[in-house]
Amino acid sequence: MSEYRPPETYISEWPDKATFDAAVIGAGPNGLIAAAYLARAGLKVCVLERRYEIGGGLATEEILFPSHYSNPHAIYHMMVDYMPPLKDLGLDKHGLMFVSPNAQTAGVFSDGSSLLLCRMLEDTKDSIAKFSEKDSRTFGKVMRTWRRIVEELVAPATYLPPVAPLDLIEAMESSDIGKSLLDITERSPVEVITDLFEDPKVQTLLLYVTCMWGLDPEETGLGFMIPLLVDRTMNKAICYGGSHRLAAALAREVVQNGGSVLDTAEVTSIRMQDGHVAGVEMEDGRTIDAGIVLSSLDPHSTFLDLVGEEHLDQNLTRSVQGWEWEKWSFATTHAVLSGRPEYAVDDAWVNEAFMTVLGFDDPESLLSYWAGVRSGHIGDHVGGHATCETIYDPTLSKVPGHEVAFLQIHAPYDLDGGGWETRTAEIEGLILDQWRRAAPNLDVLQTHTETPVDIERRLPNMRRGSIKHGDYNPLQMGTFRPNEDCSASRTPVEGLYVCGASTYPGGLIIGGPGYIAANVVAEDAGVDKWWTLPDYIAKYRDRYLGEVVEI
Amino acid sequence: MDSRYDFVIVGGGHNGMTLAAYLSKSGYSVCVLESRLEIGGAQENSEPKPGFRIDPHASVLYGGAAPGFEQLELHKYGFRMSYWGQYGLSVTSDNRAFMGGNRWNFAEAAETLRAFSQKDADLWGGMMGFIYPHLKEILRSTFWTPPYPLELDVEQEDLPWVKTWNEAAGGALPSTFFDNSLVDVCDEMFETGALKATMGLGAWYSGAAPTWDGMAAQAMGSFLLASYGSGAPKGGMHTYAHAIARCAIAHGARVLVNCPVEEIIIQDGKARGVVLADEASKAGKTIWADKAVVSAVDVQQTFQRLVGPRHVDASFLQKIKDISLKGGSLYVLHVACRELPRYVGQVQDLVESHGYPGSVLYPCDDWDSVVVQMRDAYSRNATPTGTASMTLPILMPTTYDSTRAPEGYHVLSPIYIELPPPEYHAEGPDAVNKQKDQITREMLEMMRTLAPNMTDDNIVDIWVNTPLDSEFRNAGLVGGNWYATRHCEDQWWTQRPLPELSRYRTPVDSLYLCHQTSFPGGLCLMAVPYNLMHILIDDGLVEPGDWWYPSPWHISDTKTSAATTGGN
Repeated sequence: MSEYRPPETYISEWPDKATFDAAVIGAGPNGLIAAAYLARAGLKVCVLERRYEIGGGLATEEILFPSHYSNPHAIYHMMVDYMPPLKDLGLDKHGLMFVSPNAQTAGVFSDGSSLLLCRMLEDTKDSIAKFSEKDSRTFGKVMRTWRRIVEELVAPATYLPPVAPLDLIEAMESSDIGKSLLDITERSPVEVITDLFEDPKVQTLLLYVTCMWGLDPEETGLGFMIPLLVDRTMNKAICYGGSHRLAAALAREVVQNGGSVLDTAEVTSIRMQDGHVAGVEMEDGRTIDAGIVLSSLDPHSTFLDLVGEEHLDQNLTRSVQGWEWEKWSFATTHAVLSGRPEYAVDDAWVNEAFMTVLGFDDPESLLSYWAGVRSGHIGDHVGGHATCETIYDPTLSKVPGHEVAFLQIHAPYDLDGGGWETRTAEIEGLILDQWRRAAPNLDVLQTHTETPVDIERRLPNMRRGSIKHGDYNPLQMGTFRPNEDCSASRTPVEGLYVCGASTYPGGLIIGGPGYIAANVVAEDAGVDKWWTLPDYIAKYRDRYLGEVVEI
Repeated sequence: MDSRYDFVIVGGGHNGMTLAAYLSKSGYSVCVLESRLEIGGAQENSEPKPGFRIDPHASVLYGGAAPGFEQLELHKYGFRMSYWGQYGLSVTSDNRAFMGGNRWNFAEAAETLRAFSQKDADLWGGMMGFIYPHLKEILRSTFWTPPYPLELDVEQEDLPWVKTWNEAAGGALPSTFFDNSLVDVCDEMFETGALKATMGLGAWYSGAAPTWDGMAAQAMGSFLLASYGSGAPKGGMHTYAHAIARCAIAHGARVLVNCPVEEIIIQDGKARGVVLADEASKAGKTIWADKAVVSAVDVQQTFQRLVGPRHVDASFLQKIKDISLKGGSLYVLHVACRELPRYVGQVQDLVESHGYPGSVLYPCDDWDSVVVQMRDAYSRNATPTGTASMTLPILMPTTYDSTRAPEGYHVLSPIYIELPPPEYHAEGPDAVNKQKDQITREMLEMMRTLAPNMTDDNIVDIWVNTPLDSEFRNAGLVGGNWYATRHCEDQWWTQRPLPELSRYRTPVDSLYLCHQTSFPGGLCLMAVPYNLMHILIDDGLVEPGDWWYPSPWHISDTKTSAATTGGN
């Protein structure tokens, strides 16, 4: 037998120990945004992602295998006209493109009527007028105010560190538009919408789009989000080639500016030294030394799992332990169709809508469905929102004639009657039946249903299917997201910053947490902030927050 | 958006991306245009169910000996490996088995052969003993060297791989070793049918059929490539594509996906740039190349569609049309399950005492195990007839990479059989798709005879991609063939894909080829772009930095290159 010994040099691998200025945990939108800004600012940045693909919620996956691609998480990009990173980083040079159709959000009803919210306000008013001339006029007037609220206040505030409630109230009281924001903030979505509009179908659709992302319909205190959510449901965009393209473009920026992106690199601990972060350790034992660590994970993962209670003060630990996951999650049936859905309604334009809400004819049925979901119940009536992705992004299907679509319903993580293990097929049946009733031509060739449990399995820090890493309620928003110590990205742990959806201002691919973290870290690290605040943000800061906000 | 680059590369698969990394690292501006949503081509992974990651195509690292790992410093861009404990397990239909070992422990593996034949165990151990110290050189001379200029009169003994094999053997091997097929060589050496079948199938699944004459050394080389890698990139093959892409991007390459190319712009016989299809996600649809356009899509699409009959003559196009699509068209099954296969009797004992293998071949008895498959893949029977009795290679990534499935679950992926390309199927291109349920059932039935626990209760989900599916998915896999055209002697070395194209140059000036339809073919070796680099350097288009080293066996042809710059 031979005396063979393996050669000394073989395939070199990423080193067991590497040193960077900053390590970013999680390559979701916020982690990548922060990393891209900081890399260009000259910091040596390494982004670490547990999955084999970067992107987090910016996922485009072949779940309808083979040859059909879907966006199982983020698909409705609601802030592309505001997000500073898109322009600052010049992401279009990487081929990034968004398509924002005029036909945005439809409601289809069992009597064959339909409502269509368009990007263009007068088109929307035309559609509302089919139900109520008064509602149509009200909508026109209200939206003029609400759009100002969004443009002048809420959108710019998304990209600045949070302001303490009292300071914010004082600032808002200094203008009329600010006062209207304060007024609506203290009212619940149900109150606002039923007071303003008289027709039940108009109410139903507006209530749906206001609360679909987790606003409690009956709760007061987050009313400032109503103008934002209604306006944004009329301004959604699809990322051409799939939502993952946004992550890929951001990662290209990181890498092109000298940063590293590591996938299949699960971080198992944030290492501490003398009360300061010292780096991170990965599942395979590899380590990265870094004096700055940014975590885009949920508070539980960041503080309790990675840092460890022994490095936290009691208040922080308690606050993290008290973090509430979301009141509901989603179940989504993705399908390959032989043709686009044609809804049995009065207006053919509805078939082009980016999102179609179906299954609810009045606010009562909607509220009762949501109430059921919150208590873990799904009965035999479901409703939700459908999108045929290939209408605006044909690249998602590689088979001629095949369309890719989904119908998504609100769903509990803990499902009654046996849980998801036993009920997924039944609920897929309910979803498809409801969808077929609305669109009788539906010819389903293949399906794949993802439950809240699947959401958590793909993206574990969307715990219990919490797509925004934690509930939207008044105690978890603004300066309280994730808590008063950490909402402006810095944390009590020296050198550790947070920048995920659980940090102010929140989730849904708005890019706020990542952008704010980039600003804060750049200041703390003393590196050149090569970017400037967009005018609409600077204007808001100067007018309202000159005294209280640093950036 | 800029629309002028030194090099425009059509196709962001493994070869196109690797070339982009080489060229951008050499300091040139490069634009890669990929028609799909994601770069990587066959270096892809899918997650059809959250947490379960499958390999629709490439699945193991064959390219471990590639100079590209050092030259492109892929470790800096995140490259990591997951190594096999044991590469392969070969199981006969009467449930006897031996281990294929891996490059670190072939001696132990050879011992498991003793149950079959003392003589073969000794011979196998001895053979691996002399090959392994020379393996890198054997592999580099076989795959990482550009085909020699046609006008050169080369004796067999001067061919690079003949030199390295002879050196490894410590003297000249009989010329029959290089003239014969792997079947001939194995029949002469070994008496164990299962060993011969393992080598035959192993080589065949690695791209070289054991019956091909004049390809014994290459077939053995293909088999050994996998042994050299001895594992897969951590996370799956797509992470290897990521490392290559990040290298290219870090050096400034522009990589655009969703950008199908419609036409290569040719003026005065010279490729000047490309025009993108209307649906491309780039606003400026014309992109100019100052130095060269490189087609990293297959040679058929390159000339039939992108160049077109206006620029090449009918006799040339006929030769392009005649390039064989046979072999390598895979029917791929993927299984998500709770338990790994539990084998029968002494097979399970062997696995438990030596460690779980990364892959299994079953049933693996003798040459007949190979021939039944080849009959179908090469359409000698016109329609597949043996799908129920085909030997299955079953890859089990969760045995060496825990990231591939959620805790408590496993994926078996890929499990495949070779079938005729859709284009050659007697009953039409979608014939196999229509038989999907039946073929899948047969494959699962075969798995159950190997491992009775592969029941419906154990299996959580299954997925299939047929050769036709792969044509739709993977723009460059003509015939659904993972190596695009056969690696047989008629299409190898100076004959691949055609003699006049074998040095990666084309009849169109400034248009080069960088796809697996060129030498040395598939397997994600980073070899086509490495070889092409020699030609681009010879043609005066590229001057890489000190990090570059050429193949020691390369023969430059500056005379020909002078002619090329003047047009063909």
